[in-house]
Amino acid sequence: MPATAPPGIVDLDRVATRTLPNGLRVRLLSERSTPTVSYYTFFQVGSRNERPGLTGISHLFEHMMFNGAAKYGPKEFDRVLESQGGTSNAYTSNDMTVYYEDFTSEALETVIDLESDRMRSLSVTPVTLEQERQVVKEERRLRTDNSIFGLMEEQLETLVFQAHPYRWPVIGWMDDIERIGREDCLDFLRSWYAPSNATIYAVGDLDPDETMALIEKAYGDLPAGPALPAVPAGEPLQRGERRAVVRYPSQAPALLVGWRGPRAADPDAVALDMLQLCLAVGESSRLRRRLVQEEELAVSVQISWGWRIDPGIFFAFAELAPGVKVERAEKVLYEEIAKAAGKVMSAREMQRARSLLRSGVLHELATHGGLAHAMGQAEALLGDWREVGRSLERYAAVTPADVKRVAETYLAPERRCVVELQPEGER
Amino acid sequence: MKPSRIVLPPVHTEQLPNGVTVLAAERPGVPLASARLVMRAGSSLDPAGRFGAANLVAEVARRGTHKRTGKRIDEEVEALGAELGSGTDEDATSFGFSAPVESLAKLLDVVIDVATDPVFPAQEFLRLQRRELASMVHDMDEPAVVADRAMLWAAYGSHPYGHPVEGTARHISALRRAQAIDFHRKRYGPASTVLVLVGALDLGRALDLARAKIGRWRAPAAPARDPDPPAACPRRVICVDKPELTQSQVRIATPALPRSSPQYFPAVVASSVFGGGFTSRLMEAVRVNRGLSYSVRGRFAMSRSAGLFAMASFTKNESVVELIEVLLGEAKKFCDSGPSQDELERTQSYVSGLYPLTLETHDQIADKLADTAVYGVPIEQVVQYRERVREVTAEQCREVACSHFPVEQGAIVVVGPAKQLARSLERFGPVTVLPARRFA
Repeated sequence: MPATAPPGIVDLDRVATRTLPNGLRVRLLSERSTPTVSYYTFFQVGSRNERPGLTGISHLFEHMMFNGAAKYGPKEFDRVLESQGGTSNAYTSNDMTVYYEDFTSEALETVIDLESDRMRSLSVTPVTLEQERQVVKEERRLRTDNSIFGLMEEQLETLVFQAHPYRWPVIGWMDDIERIGREDCLDFLRSWYAPSNATIYAVGDLDPDETMALIEKAYGDLPAGPALPAVPAGEPLQRGERRAVVRYPSQAPALLVGWRGPRAADPDAVALDMLQLCLAVGESSRLRRRLVQEEELAVSVQISWGWRIDPGIFFAFAELAPGVKVERAEKVLYEEIAKAAGKVMSAREMQRARSLLRSGVLHELATHGGLAHAMGQAEALLGDWREVGRSLERYAAVTPADVKRVAETYLAPERRCVVELQPEGER
Repeated sequence: MKPSRIVLPPVHTEQLPNGVTVLAAERPGVPLASARLVMRAGSSLDPAGRFGAANLVAEVARRGTHKRTGKRIDEEVEALGAELGSGTDEDATSFGFSAPVESLAKLLDVVIDVATDPVFPAQEFLRLQRRELASMVHDMDEPAVVADRAMLWAAYGSHPYGHPVEGTARHISALRRAQAIDFHRKRYGPASTVLVLVGALDLGRALDLARAKIGRWRAPAAPARDPDPPAACPRRVICVDKPELTQSQVRIATPALPRSSPQYFPAVVASSVFGGGFTSRLMEAVRVNRGLSYSVRGRFAMSRSAGLFAMASFTKNESVVELIEVLLGEAKKFCDSGPSQDELERTQSYVSGLYPLTLETHDQIADKLADTAVYGVPIEQVVQYRERVREVTAEQCREVACSHFPVEQGAIVVVGPAKQLARSLERFGPVTVLPARRFA
């Protein structure tokens, strides 16, 4: 869930913003509490913008971005950054690719130089592509092929989405990772990595005017990119439960149940945040209490509701106690969801959810990186970075009836997708 | 570029008449407050045959006190927008929270109640015992968890740091409620307790609160005794069998330094050059040049009485031997010649430049203060961190590596399909194949 700033915590009126003639958007905030700066670059491209046969290219390309450009050659990016007291990383999601640097404030000019250099002139060589391909295959083996949750999640996505690009994993299918060629990467670079598809957020010990001037100088002459194709968002209406079984030599069973939710920008998204809190965050949440404490069917239970540009997944994952039949845990889970859909949450539960959400927001905005990231998420998902300052109000506006309605609407039995892990054999 | 000196808010240190140490700092900014109540009651004090006791005691303590039921504790804490954290490591057990500052007094009351006056309800003890056992079964499905557990055992042997904090299934099953109560009575006491408060609080009021809430605590527990240093670990190869894996986890480890070692700063710099950031020797050799793994690290893990130097990575089963050869080769190269001047300077900038990021939030500062207390190091180490890092020489890095990197010595642990791997591992030393369940 994206963060929101309670009034008075972060003064968003101080954010300096500009859109350069080439379309690059810039948002800067001076916060001098710590002598560091966090510099985020959001590209509006993720696995959502891929096509079958090239799944995983957004993520593989993210790796390529660290392999050298015209001014700073291979291996130079991190070397230069680290030598000036900084660190860098990146992630790719279904909707976006995000690069970030945290560094001592003296290194700001260098970071702008490094980031603009790779946006301007990334080099994609056969040798580096092959190396990164091997690294990404190891990453896939780690997170998916040898991970029980990874195996189950991959199945869930193919159940919840039958047409939308969200149906394939961000890391891509192994076959596609093998297949992606240099030309594919260069096409991808030209289409998606133009300034017109990027936004920069910098928060920390910086001077906004000076920083804006440096950014204009470094990025200003880059050409705007091409018009980008729309993502096909069609999805067949689900009219009944969908199910998959994962058989694996695990020691104990597990259950993953997902439902297709609304888009992040839909007002129902915040009501589902509240539902998530009531059901599975904290020891006194309904599912934790019933599945873990009272009936001891599960060792752990969690709900994930990740906001996405297009309708995303609301899912419950439970690691079950050894020997527990999956259907028993399913029955309890569905009973609790039916209760949430049938009767409004108590005032106490609503208050508890709001308190936890407020605390979560305060924690997220307590760091330069957290704030820069929250602004980027808000702009990418909701269309406006200023939403960072508004969502506590939106949580306050959610009524018990809203929470009941979203449980009833989105978590209806005929909309659910179930993945069960069946331990295979004895070892 | 000369980095600026680290500025901490003034830290008030006070020992209460009952022996509890209070560290408190008022810090402007986000209206949150963090608290840590830390007791020297870590897993290294687990009784023989009862590994996992310290951890389970902390878990069950949250489930009820003379004043509050477990359910009430959950509700009270969560209604205030907080979650009550508890954690055990080899040296200490801590309870704490980070929450809106207006809730500080109420939450502190709960935390102190839980730590000092738990009743260990019988049903809850049994339930959490069952949950720990069930959780351990799931852990066996996590290759990295199995590898870390096997590494501790292989490198530390029978040393009190040699078993995982969660304990073992056999020992947890054997633990009785009376023994948990006994552990609490013997190990939780004011003399080995530190209370840390950091945040947008009023220092005077926070101190009054601390004195009032924990100053009256009396308990018979004697101050904790530190374990002896671990024995050296000769070269041994442990292959933990998980036939289903297509990617093996690899660890190479040997006993090394305690956190209070005078070699602490050389160790920080050396391990950062060798196995820290994206430009480290290991990252370059394993990921960048060979594409063998997505991640690799080599670092000193330092506890109060001892520590490990460990290299950790993973690769497809077919590349395991190559990965181990590269790791050992790089370790030897570093011990022979240490870092270049360029590497040293780059790393010093990197480590000292990023250090303020570890002090950005109230929570992080509370953790740092608690660590200084648990590890017995002066708070000045935090303030002087950047200068101390700058003073490290290449020769000091080489020396610390030479003394502690597992070049000839140390345990090699591989978690993967033994049938495919065990023979090929013999080139590194005598191989013992063990089933994964050995580490449950």
